[in-house]
Amino acid sequence: MASSQELSDFLRDVERRAFKQTVYAVRDEHVALDIVQDAMLKLAEKYADKSVKEYPMLFQRILQNTMKDFWRRQKVRNLWTTLLSSFGAGQDGEEDRDPLDSIDVGDESENPMVQLERSQTMKIIEKALEKLPARQREAFILRYWEDMDVAETATMMGCSQGSVKTHCSRALHTMAALLEKQGLGSKTIANLGVES
Amino acid sequence: MNIDNTDQKDIEQFEVQAKQIAGLLDAHANRLNMHTLKRLEDGRVRALKAHAQRLAGINVNVDGTLGQIAAWAAHHRLILSGLVLATIVSSFVVLRALNTNESSDAFLLGAELPPEAFVDRGFEPSLNRHENI
Repeated sequence: MASSQELSDFLRDVERRAFKQTVYAVRDEHVALDIVQDAMLKLAEKYADKSVKEYPMLFQRILQNTMKDFWRRQKVRNLWTTLLSSFGAGQDGEEDRDPLDSIDVGDESENPMVQLERSQTMKIIEKALEKLPARQREAFILRYWEDMDVAETATMMGCSQGSVKTHCSRALHTMAALLEKQGLGSKTIANLGVES
Repeated sequence: MNIDNTDQKDIEQFEVQAKQIAGLLDAHANRLNMHTLKRLEDGRVRALKAHAQRLAGINVNVDGTLGQIAAWAAHHRLILSGLVLATIVSSFVVLRALNTNESSDAFLLGAELPPEAFVDRGFEPSLNRHENI
């Protein structure tokens, strides 16, 4: 059974990655935050008796399922929104946002030009990731970002290991093509990787 | 054979690139704004509270005994079936009571003796005495 300290360390370690992964999937930061918070709460409530070693797989599964729940709800909501579109409301709360809140917390000592270049590169990579089909993106993220092996990824995605390999291969080819199109070859990415 | 080797090399090269991209994404994920970091921290704190409650065994509303009993209340179909059954049973009892009254009324009206005779407590013993004679 994991202690509170172990759970805290685990959540601290995964929360940022989980947030970014969810943003790529749902394309809305507020929704992504809600989903990650929900996933953290579910893990703590339902799996308090599990060992900390099981947490990465459990958390990923909960996160993926919470995202799927969101898609289902979104589908129903979209139906109603389409029906009632004439009553469309403005975006509430936009005026209340503090602009300072949106400033990224980065390394301030870094050269602004380098920061700008990296930020632009990341935008291109993120866009490419968002353009991938959902299953390919899921496979790519689990396999390369979460560093799971093929068998773990297959278990997580509920498909065969062969399907995982296919999804990964297609994702890699699509990503490479999209990045190449934007002038981001493997050398550029490798250089940025060294810098970071 | 050569084609296979080339494919394998391509895949390896792509995988290396994928790892590099994942590294960049990882580094980028650590650069979140204050608002996002605060909300993630709030979520973590709430999760830790829930975890502590679970460990202390006081979270009876989720999976505890009280929670399980109370959870039956959430079964709408069961409640609805219970209500329908209760309505059927009570209407049956009421109808039966009405039928009993009707048959006793019919008996009193159809009897040769006046209804007052059945109310009089001394009538039955007197009737029995006369039968003996």
